[in-house]
Amino acid sequence: MKSFLSCCLKRVKADYLEIRYEEVKVVGIHYVGKELEAIGESYEKGGGIRAKSRGGWSFVSFNDLSKLKDYLELATKGAHLIKGEEIKLASLPARNEVISVEVELDPADISLEEKYLLCNRYNKILLSGKEIQTSALRYADIHTTKYFINSEGTYIEQERIDTVLGMRAIARRGDNIQSAHMGIGGVGGYGLVKEKAEQAEETVKRAQDLLDAEPAKGGKYTIIVDPELSGVFAHEAFGHLSEADFLYEDKRLQKIMVLGRVFGPPGLNIIDEPRIKGEGGYYLYDDEGVPSQKTYLIKEGRLSGRLHSRETSAKMGEEITGNARAISYDYPPIVRMSNTYIAAGDKSFEEMIEGVGEGIYLKGFRGGQTNLEMFTFAPEEGYLIKKGRLHHKIRDLNLSGNIFNTLASIKAIGNDLVLFTGPGGCGKGGQSPLPVSTGGPHLQIRDVVVGGK
Amino acid sequence: MMKEILEMAAAYAEEAELYRVRSKSSEVIFEANRLKSIDSSFEEGIGLRIIKQGKIGFSSSTDLGQPRPLVKAASDSAQFGQKAHFHLPSADSTSSVECYDDSLISLSLEQMVREGRKAIDLILKEAPFLHCEGEVAKIEAEISILNTNGLSHSYKRTSYTFSLGAFLAEEGNFLGIGEGEASVKYHDWSSSVAQRILEAFRLTRKKGSISPGKHPVIFTSKAVPLLLQSLKQGINGKVLQKKISPLLGKIGKPVVSSFIDIFDDALFPFALATSPVDGEGIPSRRTPIIEEGVLKNFIYDLQTAGLMDTETTSNGARGYGSLPSPATSNFIVKEGKVPLQEMVKDIKEGIIVDQVIGSGQGNVLMGEFSVNLDLGYKVENGKIKGRVKDVMVSGNSYTMLNNVLALGSESRFIGTTRTPPIYFKEINVAG
Repeated sequence: MKSFLSCCLKRVKADYLEIRYEEVKVVGIHYVGKELEAIGESYEKGGGIRAKSRGGWSFVSFNDLSKLKDYLELATKGAHLIKGEEIKLASLPARNEVISVEVELDPADISLEEKYLLCNRYNKILLSGKEIQTSALRYADIHTTKYFINSEGTYIEQERIDTVLGMRAIARRGDNIQSAHMGIGGVGGYGLVKEKAEQAEETVKRAQDLLDAEPAKGGKYTIIVDPELSGVFAHEAFGHLSEADFLYEDKRLQKIMVLGRVFGPPGLNIIDEPRIKGEGGYYLYDDEGVPSQKTYLIKEGRLSGRLHSRETSAKMGEEITGNARAISYDYPPIVRMSNTYIAAGDKSFEEMIEGVGEGIYLKGFRGGQTNLEMFTFAPEEGYLIKKGRLHHKIRDLNLSGNIFNTLASIKAIGNDLVLFTGPGGCGKGGQSPLPVSTGGPHLQIRDVVVGGK
Repeated sequence: MMKEILEMAAAYAEEAELYRVRSKSSEVIFEANRLKSIDSSFEEGIGLRIIKQGKIGFSSSTDLGQPRPLVKAASDSAQFGQKAHFHLPSADSTSSVECYDDSLISLSLEQMVREGRKAIDLILKEAPFLHCEGEVAKIEAEISILNTNGLSHSYKRTSYTFSLGAFLAEEGNFLGIGEGEASVKYHDWSSSVAQRILEAFRLTRKKGSISPGKHPVIFTSKAVPLLLQSLKQGINGKVLQKKISPLLGKIGKPVVSSFIDIFDDALFPFALATSPVDGEGIPSRRTPIIEEGVLKNFIYDLQTAGLMDTETTSNGARGYGSLPSPATSNFIVKEGKVPLQEMVKDIKEGIIVDQVIGSGQGNVLMGEFSVNLDLGYKVENGKIKGRVKDVMVSGNSYTMLNNVLALGSESRFIGTTRTPPIYFKEINVAG
């Protein structure tokens, strides 16, 4: 592959040129209720070319490698149609790397029948609850080989195996329908999804328990979030705002997001760290061939860094971080998070809840979104807190806050950091889902708006 | 090539079907008020579905030159697959539909750049401090379906999208306005999209505030799809089959306000989901979903219809990489008689919802929603007062659709949903 790509690359002229090519093999199993909706293996091969002229980019994606020469020409022609201010890329030493994957229990060595039997067993558990109406289960193992070559002499070949499992139990009592979800897996082998019967049972219990929960009452509350939501909070309520492509061309936003600005209490640290083995956002080189690294977004409450591509890094004169990622060959790399988490503090959960007169304890994750100023996230379930104790269960919660105030309203940071990965992931610029992990310790936050009746 | 693969598959199975997509797209991208990138894509893939010993098998690939692994994977898959409750269709006559525009093929990149540039310049002329980004894209796709029961159908479709966003970051007051148009046909949208952004921008220059509690509300066309999510799930035959649709047993009964009519219409001229046949080769049709507030139909693909002992409604949606599954095509909410201005005039204290964040995160199936108001306006004594932010709006979409005060007189397409603005009795505001 290397000699073929480099040979094609040499024939064309552009300021900068790169070719990414991917070979993907996916084994997927999908249950909805009793019915096995899909099972089997599929294959995808394709590439993406990025060419840069002095003042513009062109990106061409394709499936048919035999026409690579034509596509390269089209990309360089496209880029040259754009005249404008010069685009610079942060400089990078050329590299040659071939990274092969090592996993325990390679899913390729497990028969389709064994995978089927495992999913069938979990799905039966999901359907076993007395008030369970239906289920949804998605298993996938994905073997990806990525080739990267650019006109600066870099060649990187990376192999990766992801194994993920998502389980949902849907309970029904009359007109009341509630669901609970569990996502497991990440970068790694079949071991990640084996022996998860207990998690399936627990998902069933959560769905059934939600039938008895009371709908939340809207208003402002002191909340405590569990580590799963804490991670979503790190991702939605801050992470996206630290992606430099939102502000590298926007002077006003740069003034608002000046390094050193106080965002939260002194004990607050938010970190993006791609090189955590096994997590969804794990990678050694990003999709521009830049080595990944750990970046402090917030250090002791102050804005201390942001995530960059080669272009945003050069434009802002800040250190390159290796955060340009693409969900697949048919998209260009853009600035993305990897594994983003809030570092552990010193409070125990008991200490945290003791101080809450009336509030809400929130658990589990359904979704989250941001517009860079406001964020929302939806927990799966909650408990009303009264006089420092968990009271009854509540549901239909959706939270919202202002990124600039809410971090400052963090009043306690737990000592129990956990990272979460699984199927699903992050969406941005039409690219979804990108595998990421998020995590944090329990947090206590004041004055959060909870939507409800 | 397709015939050969199908023949190869037929040797393993009672029935086989190939679904192929080939598409070509060109896109010009503006970032920070300037032309930034010119992109193209050339995609190609096939999906092979078989029925082997009465069971469904499937596999897909982008590599048409390597049919053997594809056929083997589909055959292996059938070993565990779901029992087929249908036969693949044989050839049937289809009516001609408008899903292709010749003039789009000859549309030059330069022209697309000019129109994007023009729209951004119009915006910057009035509001030079806004940051605009935009995408102008054209796609041409060819879809072919071939099966062993004699069906062989191939058609081309085009689409043209023009979308623009304007962003302003002020301390404590971020603003993002997104507008766009999409159709099968080419049209110069630059002025109208820019005007819509400027109109919204002008309204946001003043601030409005609203007290927490229940208030009357107008959803703009752009915001209505948020409230239709639950209904779209509820009428899905697959959701019905799993007995988790709140619309179970409601055929022939009123489910929303009596003056609402909704159709699923894959024949609607020049709409994004218009096609001569669905993903299984079944001729497209117009299916009444709701007539005068009464539920008329659920939507089905072949397998779901088979399981439910009914007929497909030609809603088998798919890409090459997946089996068909029921999904709405063009979802048409019939317009009413009340102009937007009249709705506004009717409100003493209320809000207009235009953009939200956090949609789809709640219990969508049951109709529950609770979202942050990303772009919305306060209405006071019949006039728009200014932008409302930092509030959440929540409710139940089924309850709201049962409390419609008026349907707007002008519809527009938001993606594949065509809807007028809708005026509702109340929504809950928290903040």
